[in-house]
Amino acid sequence: MRRSSTRKPAAATTNAGNRAAAKELERIDTLFGQYADKNEELTIGPEGIEQLCRDLGVEPTDIKILLLAWKLQAARQGYFSLEEWRRGLKAMRVDTVDKLRKALPSLQLEVANIDVFRSFYTFAFQYCLTEPRQRTLDVETACQMLELVLGDQPHVSSFITFLQEQKEYKVLTLDQWTGYLRFCEEINPDFSNYDENQAWPLLLDNYVEWAKAKQ
Amino acid sequence: MIRDILMYMDRTYVTNFKKTPVHELGLNLWRDHVVRSPKIKSRLLETLLSFIHRERNGDMINRGLMRNIIKMLMDLGPSVYQEDFEKPFLEVAAGFYKMESQEFIECCDCGDYLKKAEKRLNEEIERVSHYLDSKTEIKITAVVEKEMISSHMNHLVEMENSGLVSMLAYDRYEDLGRMYNLFKRVSPGLALVRDVMTAHLRNMGKQLVTDPERLKDPLEYVRCLLNEKEKYDKIITTSFNNDKSFQNVLNSSFEYFINLNARSPEFISLFVDDKLRKSLKGVTEEDVESLLDKVMMLFRYLQEKDIFEKYYKQHLAKRLLSAKSVSEDAERSLILKLKTECGYQFTSKLESMFLDMKTSKDTMQGFNAMLSSSDICDSPSLSVQVLTTGSWPTQPGTNCNLPREILAICDKFKTYYLSTHTGRRLTWLTNMGTADLKADFGKGQRHELNVSTYQMCVLMLFNAADQMTYKEIELATDIPPVDLKRNLQSLACVKGKNVLQKDPMSREINEDDVFIFNENFSSKFFKVKISTVAAQKENEPEKQETRQKVEEDRKPQIEAAIVRIMKSRRILDHNNIVSEVTKQLQSRFLPSPVVIKKRIESLIEREFLERDTTDRKLYRYLA
Repeated sequence: MRRSSTRKPAAATTNAGNRAAAKELERIDTLFGQYADKNEELTIGPEGIEQLCRDLGVEPTDIKILLLAWKLQAARQGYFSLEEWRRGLKAMRVDTVDKLRKALPSLQLEVANIDVFRSFYTFAFQYCLTEPRQRTLDVETACQMLELVLGDQPHVSSFITFLQEQKEYKVLTLDQWTGYLRFCEEINPDFSNYDENQAWPLLLDNYVEWAKAKQ
Repeated sequence: MIRDILMYMDRTYVTNFKKTPVHELGLNLWRDHVVRSPKIKSRLLETLLSFIHRERNGDMINRGLMRNIIKMLMDLGPSVYQEDFEKPFLEVAAGFYKMESQEFIECCDCGDYLKKAEKRLNEEIERVSHYLDSKTEIKITAVVEKEMISSHMNHLVEMENSGLVSMLAYDRYEDLGRMYNLFKRVSPGLALVRDVMTAHLRNMGKQLVTDPERLKDPLEYVRCLLNEKEKYDKIITTSFNNDKSFQNVLNSSFEYFINLNARSPEFISLFVDDKLRKSLKGVTEEDVESLLDKVMMLFRYLQEKDIFEKYYKQHLAKRLLSAKSVSEDAERSLILKLKTECGYQFTSKLESMFLDMKTSKDTMQGFNAMLSSSDICDSPSLSVQVLTTGSWPTQPGTNCNLPREILAICDKFKTYYLSTHTGRRLTWLTNMGTADLKADFGKGQRHELNVSTYQMCVLMLFNAADQMTYKEIELATDIPPVDLKRNLQSLACVKGKNVLQKDPMSREINEDDVFIFNENFSSKFFKVKISTVAAQKENEPEKQETRQKVEEDRKPQIEAAIVRIMKSRRILDHNNIVSEVTKQLQSRFLPSPVVIKKRIESLIEREFLERDTTDRKLYRYLA
């Protein structure tokens, strides 16, 4: 009894806010309903996402959609659950397609921060793991993802060429994936500050050797 | 006498007024007016030096006179001796030896030069003891050392045809000893000798281990290594005073070049195999021990001890199974040595192989006893070795159809064995056995043939037929084609042992070749041994296969080492892990940093470790 009585005043002041939030949530749920899968309760499936993309006016392969998935912290590729949808849209403070379209560029601004980008980058890897217990990404998918998330970085295109040419690795591990981001952040385009004794993943040692031989 | 006359004055007046005592005064006067008088001083010095010069040139001089004069100079005070005699003496000596060493070096070879230098040095030491102040010894020897050794050191060592290298090559112990003793006096004399010896050793060793001719004969290869080792050991003990630093250099050089050739472990094992198979017959126990010790010495140099183990196991298995080992004591002694060198783990499988042999013997006794008590005596006798899976380097599952007669007794054994050891599984390894067959040939000749199990299967077919095609044989025996072809070759294509005839008479064996029982086979011997299962140098694919197996075996070992280290250290940086792992594993092999890195990455992948979020070089252990 005592607990509820002490809480009361605080509840009273936020009452208006609560009501607004409840309304927002309702609209978010309605929006969810527009895209939700007919067969599967409480999820937006691949078809729903395609429809959403059309409504937003972006390609499904656009990085913005990946950013949206990241913002939603979507666990499964090609699917948004109601919970993820609510959490993500609430955080972005959007409840209509129009608002969502306008909010997308702000996501791009958000990942301009290097720490945020790291979380996005790691998400991109994990998002692609579709099978249960899958831990590694095949080189082909990895190359596509690299292109998508790091496309404008100086090393990337030559690294992708290297990945496609080499025969030793057929899959990439999370360690190699995140290692590569640090590599992009720290290493000069001419590799002048690359030190093999710095415990880089072996894949990167090989890459640098390959790239230097090419130069 | 003068002092006696003036004794009173000396005692009272001089001490009271602090004047110079009479005796000393006299000496001073003598010094200033006689010894240092302009006329005498230079003449005295010249005379002394010319005497010494004459003595150096071999003339006899009046040593007594010299001694007296020098004694006088010393009595006049150390400064007189040093200033008026010692200094110019040393200068003249320096000039003399400079000239002389120049002269020698131009006309003598290294050995002679050293002999002369040693003689000169001894002469000077002797001179000091005869008539110079003993303190001069260090100074004059320093002069000789500098002029005769230091300034020509490099030239001497590198002299063509007589320098250090040729002394080493031709075992010139005396010259080497002389060089060691002389060069020890100057710095960096010994370091120079050591460096040149190292370079020579490495060079020679490299040539030895990479010479393609040598590689053809593994036994000769190892024998050469042993000879070299023995040779240099002798040089170091006889000529270099057992100098520790030289021994170290010797060891590191051997380690360097033995590992240049990746086949060294295999060859050393082959060498041991040969010794234990035949060469050790009739050799005394001490000789066996000393030989094994020598082999162990080479073994110690190997970086890839696990590869040696692999080959040793293979060779030992063949020795044991074909009962070809000369002496069980020698076998055990070597295993004991390996155990002390590398620990229990290294030899546990080898030991269990011996144990298997012993148990098999007991089992066979029991089995034969059982057979003789029941009354089947018409069947062939069987000798089985029960091997523990995993301890022996066996290839699994190549089975063949055994002849009916053999199959029956094999089954009997199986029942017998399983009745005493329940819950075990027996598989026949027909590719490793041998058989003795009695065969009757055309002209009433009877021979006993010692053949492999596969060959036995083939020959038994000819009890029912006189000729068979390759296809038929393959179908009947179910022996893997590669093995079958090899065995048929040794049955039909080796001169003097061709129990079978082949049509056409080529070496190659084709699908539709026909094999005919050779009625006309004859041999001087009653017993004919058809195939040799002696260990041979591996061919290229086999070598690759062994390599690969070893690499696979190493992975878990490296990972275990990493986990052990990280478990106790929790957080450690990359370079330290690499060096710790290398240290832990070096008694077995030398893992390359790249391989270690790969294992670390695999452990990160499997979430045993993680990278530190800020310092990339740090790893954390995930419990």
